[in-house]
Amino acid sequence: MKLEDFMSTKRKDRVYFLMIFPAFLGFVVLFIVPTIMSFIYSVTNWSVYSADIRFVGLDNFKKLFSDKKTITAIQHSIQYAILITVAQNTLAIILAVLLNKKSKVANFVKSVTFLPAVLSIMVVGFLFQYLMTTADGGVFNSIIKFFGGNSVNWLGDKNLALYSILITQVWQWTGWSMVIYIANLKSIDSSLYEAAGMDGANKMQQFFRVTLPLLYPATSFNILMSLIGGMKMFDAVFVMTKGGPGYATETIMTTMIREGFSNGRNAYACAFAVVFFIIVLIFSQVVSFFLNKWEGVIEA
Amino acid sequence: MKKKLLLLMLCVVMVASSFAGCSKRAPQKDKASATQDGSSEASKNKKDGEVVKLRMMAYNAESSRATYLKYLAEQLEGIEIEFEFVSTDNFDNVLNAQLQAGEGPDIIEVGGQTKLLASAGYLLDLTEQFFVSNYVEPGILPYTVESKVYATPLQSWYEGIFYNRQIFADNGISVPKTWDEFIQIHKTLAEKGIKAQTMGAQSYEPMMKQSIALVNNMFYSTNASKDYDEKYNNGEVSLAHEWLPAVQEWYKIIEEGCLTEDMLGLSYDQALDEFATGNAAMWESGPWAVSTIMEKNPDLDLGMFPIPGPEADKAGWLVGGPGSAFAINAKSEHIEEALKVLEITATAEAQQALVKDNAGSSFVKGVEVDLGDTYVDCEEAFKEGHVYAPWTAVWINGNAITTGYGKSLQEVLAGSKTVEEALTDADRINDDLRATMQ
Repeated sequence: MKLEDFMSTKRKDRVYFLMIFPAFLGFVVLFIVPTIMSFIYSVTNWSVYSADIRFVGLDNFKKLFSDKKTITAIQHSIQYAILITVAQNTLAIILAVLLNKKSKVANFVKSVTFLPAVLSIMVVGFLFQYLMTTADGGVFNSIIKFFGGNSVNWLGDKNLALYSILITQVWQWTGWSMVIYIANLKSIDSSLYEAAGMDGANKMQQFFRVTLPLLYPATSFNILMSLIGGMKMFDAVFVMTKGGPGYATETIMTTMIREGFSNGRNAYACAFAVVFFIIVLIFSQVVSFFLNKWEGVIEA
Repeated sequence: MKKKLLLLMLCVVMVASSFAGCSKRAPQKDKASATQDGSSEASKNKKDGEVVKLRMMAYNAESSRATYLKYLAEQLEGIEIEFEFVSTDNFDNVLNAQLQAGEGPDIIEVGGQTKLLASAGYLLDLTEQFFVSNYVEPGILPYTVESKVYATPLQSWYEGIFYNRQIFADNGISVPKTWDEFIQIHKTLAEKGIKAQTMGAQSYEPMMKQSIALVNNMFYSTNASKDYDEKYNNGEVSLAHEWLPAVQEWYKIIEEGCLTEDMLGLSYDQALDEFATGNAAMWESGPWAVSTIMEKNPDLDLGMFPIPGPEADKAGWLVGGPGSAFAINAKSEHIEEALKVLEITATAEAQQALVKDNAGSSFVKGVEVDLGDTYVDCEEAFKEGHVYAPWTAVWINGNAITTGYGKSLQEVLAGSKTVEEALTDADRINDDLRATMQ
């Protein structure tokens, strides 16, 4: 913005600009600059153990895409993000619709469902590590054995461990999404249901023709948050499996932390961060495209 | 106009506060410059009566250093130690991030990462410090890079197989002399409905260490291993070639069903619980676990034996060595005080205090340590010097390689990889990190 433009801007706009400037500056310094630096460092040989930084072109990206472990971690993150988005939002919508009532029981169930969201992910991780253990006294397996079943290796089976973590996170965050859906449900005009009822729509038809379309604002927010949160998954994996057994639950973030901090390969981790940035960007764009289409249909 | 001026001033204050929030306090003095006599600018400027706080970052818990820290507190005047425990899983992450930011603790407990950190200039050169000569050479060697000493060792560490003597006696079992006998014990106990060995294989460490104990027995005890680890640092040899026969021998324990996939769902603490409460007869670990085991079961008759090899007439091997050591952050503002701590640590009294909470031999000349009855079955191994861990002793990229190797062994136990592939994975990590350092 040129100085004369700035001076000619309405007084009110100038005030707003000055007021947001400190926050904007913080955003630039703490997010934009590090992001740009990650892009720059991703084409260097920068490491904790080498003071001499030089340009290496796309070497880090070539290594990254030729490493099976890294590709697997990307696959795990995408798989996890999609599954948690679907599971968490489906359950949250069902719960929100069922509990959107003025009754003491509904209020109690709402509070209980929301409670896990106030716990730290680390606490939930440690808790479930003990609930899911294969050692004697593991609560989940004790229940299964009580009903005559066989013990399940929740966190040690390479084919199951990622889903076990997913279950804990769905348990923790469904209540949080549910609260947002309930807030949205409160804003839907009850006369729409009356009109639908008069037209002969049953409860199921009312849900799909009235409720679901008008839940667009909460759904778009929750889907984007779940997807991005799923792609960033780190803490629950770190606490419960440390990426194991082997590399069965490694995600983009756990691999990035291991390579960047533990192994000191900063430039390689930056290349991974760039790939992560691009994947999240594509994901967000695709989801936004479909959500916008949905919004268009509702408005039409 | 006044309102505009006020608004402008408010904005300036907010911008300034946002900077203040992001920045750390400006140092009062220039960074301390390390000198060989151990003095530093900051230390010289210390006022009489002022207490200097030294940050000590360690991956061994404070409880395993309790007597030693108490002894230090008695000996140090005007110096207070702030002990900061960071678990091994997270230690390198935290340390590397702090050192790279030009910060970090004053005193660092180092192990397999010493040579990397020293080569990168993060550690103070201790070569000329008089107390270095208190230690025997094998204790100093793992912390020496290009003839310069960067850390001084604490007591030795070692890991073997803890066993419940009562269970062994009740079932007529004696300490195994060969690897096959060790496997047979698993079968004998299993037939009687007793869980022989528990393992917290959710961590990458136990299988990695147990298999390396077999490598110690079958490879490092032979002349073929001469200069092998130095060559490995240079990428001239590979684990997939030289270690393979030993690791294949270790793999028998999986083939015979002694280590099972359900152990991948057990953490270190859960495995410790199983052993301490008598639900398993054996568990691999080291002296640092003894206090917790005895807390959980004070009546346990605890013993440890070394991991046996294929030949009965040769003593088994423990995994271990000089283990951890104390190094000083080259950018510490309290180098003189940190050196004082290392100087006291190099005395016989401090060594005895260290050993009291975490049994191990001392590398300080003339210090005799009685390890106690628990380790009586390891005496022959100690006498023969059968204690070795290549990744802490010689390897430059030790921690990263062993982490990768251990994770690949988890895949071996899960049935999705062969031991040869696990060793190849470890070699690849070594190659990648060597390339990173060039």
